[in-house]
Amino acid sequence: MARIILDTLSKQYPNGVLAVDALDLTIADGEFFALLGPSGCGKTTLLRTVAGLENATGGRLLSDDRDVTHLPPGKRDIAMVFQDYALFPHMDVADNIAYPLRIRGEHRTQRRAKALETGTGLGLENLMDRRPGQLSGGQQQRVALARAMACQPSVFLFDEPLSNLDARLRLEARTFLKKLQKDLGVTTIFVTHDQAEALAMADRMAVMELGKIRQVGTPAEVFHRPANTFVANFIGSAPMNLLAGETADDGLRIGGFTVPFPHDSPRLPPGTPVTLGARPEYVDVVGTSTPGAMAGTVTIVEYLGATALVSVQIGDERVPDGADPVLGLTVQAMVAEGTEPQIGARIGVTHQPNRSLLYAADTGDLVSGTGSGTGSGTGSGIPGSTAATVSTTP
Amino acid sequence: MTATAARPAAVPLGPPPSMVVKKFVSRVLFYVVIALLLVFFMLPMLWIVLAPFDASPSLTIKLPDFSTGNFSELWHNPYALRSLLNALIISLGTMALVLVFGALASYALSRVRVPGRDALLYALLLLSSIVSGTAAMVPIFLLMTNVHLIDSQLGVVLVMTGGLLPAAIFILKDFMDATPRSYEESAKVFGASPLQILRHVVIPIARPGLATIAVWALVNAWGNFLVPFILLRSADKYPAAVVMYTFYTEGGQPKLGLISAFSLMYSIPVVIAYLVVSRRYGFRFHGGIKS
Repeated sequence: MARIILDTLSKQYPNGVLAVDALDLTIADGEFFALLGPSGCGKTTLLRTVAGLENATGGRLLSDDRDVTHLPPGKRDIAMVFQDYALFPHMDVADNIAYPLRIRGEHRTQRRAKALETGTGLGLENLMDRRPGQLSGGQQQRVALARAMACQPSVFLFDEPLSNLDARLRLEARTFLKKLQKDLGVTTIFVTHDQAEALAMADRMAVMELGKIRQVGTPAEVFHRPANTFVANFIGSAPMNLLAGETADDGLRIGGFTVPFPHDSPRLPPGTPVTLGARPEYVDVVGTSTPGAMAGTVTIVEYLGATALVSVQIGDERVPDGADPVLGLTVQAMVAEGTEPQIGARIGVTHQPNRSLLYAADTGDLVSGTGSGTGSGTGSGIPGSTAATVSTTP
Repeated sequence: MTATAARPAAVPLGPPPSMVVKKFVSRVLFYVVIALLLVFFMLPMLWIVLAPFDASPSLTIKLPDFSTGNFSELWHNPYALRSLLNALIISLGTMALVLVFGALASYALSRVRVPGRDALLYALLLLSSIVSGTAAMVPIFLLMTNVHLIDSQLGVVLVMTGGLLPAAIFILKDFMDATPRSYEESAKVFGASPLQILRHVVIPIARPGLATIAVWALVNAWGNFLVPFILLRSADKYPAAVVMYTFYTEGGQPKLGLISAFSLMYSIPVVIAYLVVSRRYGFRFHGGIKS
């Protein structure tokens, strides 16, 4: 049970690569915290720095109020579960679980007893004499967890805990891990590159890119209000539609169409380049002539079970005002099963202004709801001129 | 349909007869060559199991005129049994040193990034054949004289260890490389010291490699003639390989009975060592554990 504080923590490799770039982060006691990011973003390096397997090159790392920045891994009161579980192949399950106790010099019979107790809690009581090679992936994972639990640490670190499991087992393990963490109440940091895993399991999460944290928040916050286009693109089972356009008096100009502003947009001077972010789940398929719709041709329909992902190539000879359609602009919409249009059909798509966001085109940062720009009230800012075109239903 | 109909009906199945004959003849020739080679290599082995039990052994292979006289003569020879013990001491000593230093050095070389590490390893490997080889015998003799290790079994062990270590490190490093680092890191997170990591994790996992190296070092030291012959002075310190060289009559004729009986006893430990390790570890040279 500990609170972990990162204070401008940095890790630079000898070859100059800054894998962790002056991060400030506080992970609360008992929290299930996810580090999410694409490969090479520094999330595993950060976890290994917290573990003490990498030396921080700058900043401090505090566990409660204890400075552990330069302590060896064994003195940090942590336990780590590795991606490949790192179970010792020459020891049976009981010896594996009891290994931390062996290091502490406990007697063998006592070790075996404690290992059995911990293992029983995870349903391993009948496997205590097996070697890791004789276990399934899920069993191996539970042995690795039992070994981490056996030393009763104040912090758990999981490196890609689910990536070695097959798809079905992964779902089970997700639920299992979340429940286990809640039962134990131990502060847990886990690393994943799978946004669905992070959303499903974490209490809070940090999205990382190139050694920096791009957003910290609860899964719901990160999903609904990505702080920048990187996070917007990374989170969600289908990436958010990010449509380049510019502001006008009566809405956003995108690909020759005029669409309504997202609701809490600040008032921006006309002609400001912006990016509209709209999740495919919050894009509706409508008739081509619906006000505020972008018309286009259906190019791909991906069947996903209860839903289907429709890709629409925006562009139309009947573009209003005779403006040229932007070629290559594609909008994806998630529609219910059975309502998907045919490939080649001409349809219109509208975004839901209450659930879409506006990003600055140059920095990629969220401008919706920030109150910047030319002074519209936060949250309520539907520019009056666009009110007429707001139309979320066909 | 049209393809099958168009095919001429009279095409014979299989290759033409001339090719069948050709194939048969090449097969027969192949096996004849194999059989000849086999006989060639079998002859000395047959001799070594038959001649010791022959009352009057010669250099030909024949069914023995059974007798155990050669062995009782060996028993009464003042140096024979003593030399087997010496050989055991020297080869076990060499094996122990090669294992300890080989394991430590290969682990370090596998885990620590040293500039020019691979070049160093290859250079050592190349030079090692010189160190314990004939070419370096004079300098080695001088060196051993100066450090007062002439006529000492320790000297023999050290020289042979030096000769075997580079190859041992080279092979063991491969085993160490194949051990995932996460095993060690896992132990490290639980607070294990480097020596504990080596003892609890690395050595047990590299055990097949260590066993291979152990037998290889044992056999090499056991069979080495030149190093002990040059570095040892007193006959009671000679290992078996050197003592066998003394089994001549006053007239310079080899005592074939004694030599054959001694050869048999001399080869048995090596065969046993090989069988034990082969059974337990199957002599794999790439035996790392897959993660």
